[in-house]
Amino acid sequence: MFSQFFGGYLLNKGIVTKEQLAKALDEKKNTRLRLGVLAINEGLMTAEQVEHVNITQQTVDKLFGDLAVDLGYLKPDDVTDLLHKQPTDYLLLGQTLVNMGALTNSDFEDAINSYKSKLSIDDDDLAGDQNDRLIELVKEFFHFGTTQNAKLYSNYATLLFKSLIRFIGDDFTPLEASIIKDTDTPRAVRQDITGAYNAITIIAAGKEEYSAFAKRFAKDAYVPDPEFDDASAGEFLNVCNGLYAVNESNESGVEISLTPLNFTKDEKLTIGKECFSIPVQFTFGEVEFIINF
Amino acid sequence: MKLEDMSVLVCDDSMFARKSLCMFISSLGVKNIYEAADGQEAVDKYKENKPDAVFMDIVMPVITGIDALTKIVEFDPGAKVIMASSVGTQNHLKAAIKAGAADFLQKPISNDQVKQTLENIAKGVI
Repeated sequence: MFSQFFGGYLLNKGIVTKEQLAKALDEKKNTRLRLGVLAINEGLMTAEQVEHVNITQQTVDKLFGDLAVDLGYLKPDDVTDLLHKQPTDYLLLGQTLVNMGALTNSDFEDAINSYKSKLSIDDDDLAGDQNDRLIELVKEFFHFGTTQNAKLYSNYATLLFKSLIRFIGDDFTPLEASIIKDTDTPRAVRQDITGAYNAITIIAAGKEEYSAFAKRFAKDAYVPDPEFDDASAGEFLNVCNGLYAVNESNESGVEISLTPLNFTKDEKLTIGKECFSIPVQFTFGEVEFIINF
Repeated sequence: MKLEDMSVLVCDDSMFARKSLCMFISSLGVKNIYEAADGQEAVDKYKENKPDAVFMDIVMPVITGIDALTKIVEFDPGAKVIMASSVGTQNHLKAAIKAGAADFLQKPISNDQVKQTLENIAKGVI
């Protein structure tokens, strides 16, 4: 999940555009990680040194690793270690953006270093999926810390993003959240959480994006029909909220329940309460997740 | 009992969940599959068809899955009702067991879980 938030970071900082990021997310499955990007990520080489090796390679018929050793930038053991590194998702995203020309090696070096230092994360965090670190990352990214229910927002949003990766796909980027009271989106499904506390959860999107989202969740069972889109998108929300309710019950002893799903089409959705609207950019378009705790 | 000789009622207000489950159960060779979109319809269809197994959601309009389970078990104490819900909280589990559920499956339910459950009912294990 760090990869998705790294994408969001690049976007929020204006380092890449939405279009470049969507294209990179789509293409990263075909990307092979190069030694130079791995060496920059490990802090073994600077972007300038990588560029030097790349330029030298144009006149010398040698592999990147061998040349980097010849030029004194790496030791032979460093090359062996780097070749054994598992390509993590955020590095593949960075490499794809470099390949596309959307980032230079130097841009990538600056971005990955500032991302790591801003969030106080290290390579183990980025390669892993530790829930506590993910919750902190989500809290920081969306500024939930300023709300009264920061823990509930952070826990819910973390589970939501995990569910997106599990059921919809990992080709998305979370965008900056905003506070809203209503939305004009053409299609939406809402489910409330009741019990020990009350909460509102909504998925809202344009007609085409809503269908694409529904299709991703339904997979082979998909039927192109607006009613089916509601059923599928609604079931995603229901499953996600159900998992959240089970976590609350098992981990905190808090008992909550869910209301039946409520769908809106082509009408203004008035919520009446201030909610966090979290837009998520998928390769097929943008989907909005609206939550209030 | 063989799987293909069983009759199954699937009750879920989500058309997607209902159709997906029915499609898979049908692929196992089960011919008699009934559908209900809310708790009351499930009670009515159970009384009408007396299916061998029921998959029942909990959060539904009209009457909830727990209320429908209670009515079905009142009508037929031997009913094999499997609660299939996204909300497997302690309270819901307790309520389902108290009302006479034969088992509880947390959504998302895998095809293997459905097949295993039906095989267990067919063998009389559940």
